[in-house]
Amino acid sequence: MARQGEGKTSTKISSEDSALIRELALLLDETSLTEIEIERAGLRVRVARNVSIAAGIPASLPVAATAVPAAAVASAAAGTDFSKHPGVVPSPMVGTAYWAPEPGAKPFVEVGTKVSAGQTLLIIEAMKTMNQIPSPRAGTVTQILVEDGQPVEFGEPLVIIE
Amino acid sequence: MFDKILIANRGEIALRILRACKELGISTVAVHSTADADAMHVRLADESVCIGPPPSKESYLNVPALLAACEITGADAVHPGYGFLSENARFAEILADHNLQFIGPKAEHIRLMGDKIEAKKTAKRLGIPVVPGSDGAVAPDEDAMTIAKKIGFPVLVKAAAGGGGRGMKVAHTESDLALALTTAANEAKSAFGDASVYLEKYLTKPRHIEIQVLGDGRGGAIHLGERDCSLQRRHQKVWEEGPSPALDAAARQKIGLTVAKAMQQMKYLGVGTVEFLYEDGEFYFIEMNTRIQVEHPVTEMITDIDLVLEQIRIAAGGDLPMTQEEVQIIGHSIECRVNAENPQTFRPSPGKIQQYHPPGGLGVRIDSAVYQGYVIPPYYDSLVGKLIVHGKTRGECLMRLRRALDEMVVDGIETTLPLFRALVREPAIIDGDYHIHWLEQYLSGQQGG
Repeated sequence: MARQGEGKTSTKISSEDSALIRELALLLDETSLTEIEIERAGLRVRVARNVSIAAGIPASLPVAATAVPAAAVASAAAGTDFSKHPGVVPSPMVGTAYWAPEPGAKPFVEVGTKVSAGQTLLIIEAMKTMNQIPSPRAGTVTQILVEDGQPVEFGEPLVIIE
Repeated sequence: MFDKILIANRGEIALRILRACKELGISTVAVHSTADADAMHVRLADESVCIGPPPSKESYLNVPALLAACEITGADAVHPGYGFLSENARFAEILADHNLQFIGPKAEHIRLMGDKIEAKKTAKRLGIPVVPGSDGAVAPDEDAMTIAKKIGFPVLVKAAAGGGGRGMKVAHTESDLALALTTAANEAKSAFGDASVYLEKYLTKPRHIEIQVLGDGRGGAIHLGERDCSLQRRHQKVWEEGPSPALDAAARQKIGLTVAKAMQQMKYLGVGTVEFLYEDGEFYFIEMNTRIQVEHPVTEMITDIDLVLEQIRIAAGGDLPMTQEEVQIIGHSIECRVNAENPQTFRPSPGKIQQYHPPGGLGVRIDSAVYQGYVIPPYYDSLVGKLIVHGKTRGECLMRLRRALDEMVVDGIETTLPLFRALVREPAIIDGDYHIHWLEQYLSGQQGG
């Protein structure tokens, strides 16, 4: 597979990159995240709220390789850990999360939706098979933690149902 | 060359693979169970994907999860390491169906060598000497006694679908045979899903000598000398060294070329190891392992060839690194597999490593993924790490090993380090005068007093 040309090194940030950085900074402000890091071929961007880093190696996370920069958003490298939240619904599998049955359709649930046990929350797609993910309990969706089209790993917090 | 490799394994071999990928400039994806989220190779990898809960069946053996991980990360090749799916021909085929490169041999060769009866037939056909035995599987009762008598007692009943030292029972005399057959068949059925067994002559004091091979898949193949892995406990290797103290240059060349020629005829792809029992100057083929082996560092130290790197290069279509004439065996190397087990009872000792100091210096190598504060999970094998030393001569190697073992600290869990410290001082080991039953005899002698 062809690699990017080594001869071209640009010291200027392209307008695409600058739009990406702006978007990441905005995300940082809107959420309670303290740091966002994204990496794809030839580019790694990290936007942090404060510079002092806790000891340890920041964990690397799966990033979807898409052609559209705005769509490829990495999960928080540090910040709120939802995996211990009592209402968390963790992913039972590896794949790509979709909130609606098909593109353009109404999402299965939204923040505020009341769900019953077994009701479909989202679809996780892996190798062209769509897997409906049921709610483990009855309750109200209070937080949606992954983006539509985001790759997810086993155990990743998907949604909070309280 | 590959852009991104997914490492479908854990522990020290996953770290080993990661190192080779980094040296080749290839991006790495570490997949792991929830129990391995803090593994060193996961922390060092470019990307990581949690693929399941601790049980191997739901994580490291979970083919759909592995494929999904390849999909979401865009990996173009998978390195299976050893154990797990490394010798699963179906997995290799599934990857090919999904346009992913399996870093290993061709599926047909994995399948061929995975069936121990077929493997033996193939070896025989390719001119490799084999252990006298039944020609194929033995029907539950009738044939067995006649065949066993012809081979001559004691005989070994072996599972056709076994391997790696599992699924074997000895029948010392005629009266032992019936029980050995039924026990072996039952164990084989439950462990491997196949009750087929075959018979082999049981050699009384053989050495286990294996030949490392490397093939380009197009008819080119070389051998990289031997490893002597006679020191075993319950058929698991504990101490490996190369060259073998029992072989001279002529014997080495003869068996090496026989094996290399067989691999050329097979058009073998990647790394592999052909294992023999060696007794009274004769070699007897037992099995072939179509993967990288735990003890591969021994060969790396004496040939200066990075076997994992070569696996990747060859899987990407590359040529062999050198011709047979260019292969040089330099000096001597010994590897000790340090396990998290009590050194006398061998009871597993998982838990937190409170203090860790690996030895260093010239000719000292540690292949281990542990670190101070690391918690060894109870779900997988008990390997803490491999201590490998190299010296210009076997004597120098032994002195260096003694020094390195004395320097190594792993506290907080029990390890088999005390066993190795004793072995390196044992006269029989120092003389290189041992065979595959030696270690168990030594251990029961230690207990008996």
